[in-house]
Amino acid sequence: MYRRLSAVLLMLLLTGCSSDQRILEKLGLVQTASYDLAENHQLKTTYSIPVIDPESSERRLLLTAVTDSLKEARVRLSKQIDLRLVSGQLRSVLFGSELAKEGLADHIDTLLRDPSIALGVQVAIVDGDAGKLLSKPFKPNKDTGTYVNHLLEKESSSDAIPPTTLYAFTREYHDDGIDPIAPIVKDEGNRAGISGIAFFQDDRFVMKIPAKDGIIFALLRGDIKQGELSAKLGERNGRKVVVMFSSMLNKRKVSVQHLGDNRFKFIIANSIQGSVLEYTGHGDLSQSKKRHELEGDVAEYIRDKAQEMVRQLQQNNVDSIGIGQYVRNSLTYKAWKSLDWRKVYPGVEVECRVKVTIKDYGKYM
Amino acid sequence: MMEKLSPFHVGILVYMSQIGIIVFTLPRQLADYFGTNGWLVLLPGLLLTSFNIYLITLVHRLGGGKSVFEIMERSVPKAVLYPVYLGLCSVWLLFGCMIGKKYVLLFQMLAFPTTNPMVFKMALDVLLFLLLIKGIFTISKVATFFFWMTFWMYFIFLWFLPSFNWVRLTPFILQGGHDQIKGAFDLYSAYLGYELSILLFPYMDKSKKSLAAIYAGNAFLSLVYICLSLICFGFFSFGQLKKLLFPLLDMLAYIQFPFVERLENMLYGFFLFLILITAAMYWWGAMEAMRRMIPKLKIPVMAFLLTVISYCISYIPKTLDQVNNWILHLGYAVTGIAFGLPVLLIALLLLQGRRVSRV
Repeated sequence: MYRRLSAVLLMLLLTGCSSDQRILEKLGLVQTASYDLAENHQLKTTYSIPVIDPESSERRLLLTAVTDSLKEARVRLSKQIDLRLVSGQLRSVLFGSELAKEGLADHIDTLLRDPSIALGVQVAIVDGDAGKLLSKPFKPNKDTGTYVNHLLEKESSSDAIPPTTLYAFTREYHDDGIDPIAPIVKDEGNRAGISGIAFFQDDRFVMKIPAKDGIIFALLRGDIKQGELSAKLGERNGRKVVVMFSSMLNKRKVSVQHLGDNRFKFIIANSIQGSVLEYTGHGDLSQSKKRHELEGDVAEYIRDKAQEMVRQLQQNNVDSIGIGQYVRNSLTYKAWKSLDWRKVYPGVEVECRVKVTIKDYGKYM
Repeated sequence: MMEKLSPFHVGILVYMSQIGIIVFTLPRQLADYFGTNGWLVLLPGLLLTSFNIYLITLVHRLGGGKSVFEIMERSVPKAVLYPVYLGLCSVWLLFGCMIGKKYVLLFQMLAFPTTNPMVFKMALDVLLFLLLIKGIFTISKVATFFFWMTFWMYFIFLWFLPSFNWVRLTPFILQGGHDQIKGAFDLYSAYLGYELSILLFPYMDKSKKSLAAIYAGNAFLSLVYICLSLICFGFFSFGQLKKLLFPLLDMLAYIQFPFVERLENMLYGFFLFLILITAAMYWWGAMEAMRRMIPKLKIPVMAFLLTVISYCISYIPKTLDQVNNWILHLGYAVTGIAFGLPVLLIALLLLQGRRVSRV
């Protein structure tokens, strides 16, 4: 009897959820959101919502509003359509570069506060106006939001740019001795592409590097499992000598030396393995001597590039490699807390050591 | 011959009554109160609970496995005992009830923001009522079943290993925390649930294995807590962990499969099994105490009464903060009972032993 009674009771209880029922056709699933700085310190929000109706010629719906806050925009935008806006399927958020220069902490905080938004949402900076990029169609892709999202996923999976999600951004923002980063997306006329990596000081976008140097940054930042690097090693008969290093594996080891008086030396030792799939030089790669020479040349190329990148980062006082984390871990808690890392960081001596091993050179002599 | 709980079932029952709603907040609380590498505090926690379990096993040994109520009633007049029973009953009933309410409020925040949480609470209470009327043996079997149903969830930890980094753990031991003593009291409720094993004496066989199973259940729980917290400290940065109210929920939301995204609502549903057993065990404890006072009342009627009372009380705290406050204070009371009751019983047993030897 109890069982029957409770079964009836439980079924009746289900009706209690009617206010929160979600019918897919009645929902506007925000898939990509972009935020830009508007006039008078207001925010311009653009939402891209996929259209589920198979009979519609439109693949996406674009909504834009200028408001004082992110959530206010949602309220305003929901009044523009007959669908209920939900953020549970949000895949990427794009911030305009002007907004990013002002600081993203408050906006990220709002996103994280919402239980329907997961930490896995991709974060990217748009070189210019994010709303404009999101609104522009890039043929043959009908939905720019999905296109950009796939682009970010693909690039980060191959270590060309670091994967940056809300999780990673906040992890680094809240950690001592490391600064957040984000990929930069740019409107390149008839297509959108990853143009570089944005480096943040705390939550402010301070400097960027071009996408082609992304792999050097990845080598500085940690181990990598795959990656490609094309190194230009001088000229031969007026033509550039290029080595294409593929399927790169990198093991990074770091150490910190205390030079006294709040001065530190940071050593990054990279051990890189890879295959040479293109080589326009004159050396015969089947000879181990030539191969070792080439390994030395590539190592020098990477070292110079890495050293230059570290110098740029120090000049702009952004610790995106996380040198501070290792310095912190080499100190006592008291010593770390009394250290003003922002002041000390530009003066840290950083030495990059690179060892390159050519695993194989393809299937041709 | 009366059915007995096997040592395996005792172990599972202890573990299942311990693991509960605190698992969602534990890593953040460890980081907040104890600072860097706060997960290390779980080790002394294991030692302290093991000591408490030692006291419980001492009661079993000295009392020859007799029911704790019998031991008490042999020396203390009923007039004194009834208020004690009433106290035990109300603390355990409300503690179980508030754990259920917190689960419901979290579920509501995640999935059904505008639905009245008391609708879910009623669904939960109906399930609890059905469990309660079946008695401890059924609860134990259900606990074992639920244990295997949720066992696979430990493998979720593996998902976070690629993002785990030892560098984020820092070499600092317990630095940057605050109010450690308050924190220790607050976090002790993470272990609570093992103390109910003192009520299981008449239902388990008298072998040493049954007592060892209580230790084993508690040790397994500690292992789960340590793994979870260690992963959280290496997966999140320290500052980030202190900001996340429910780190476990964020971790669950981080999981994405190629064929399905946003699994956390489904995964959160599985935690219901853990909450159900924790609440059911506390309510069962409350009912055991009540039965000593009103032995003639039929079990279903008593279970119904307790369910209705607790449901009505659960209307009082409306917000998550209020429920947390209730759990906090009830947790202090339950901790007091966890240590006080075995000590009292040991004292009584020693006194009774002396009297017997004099005779």
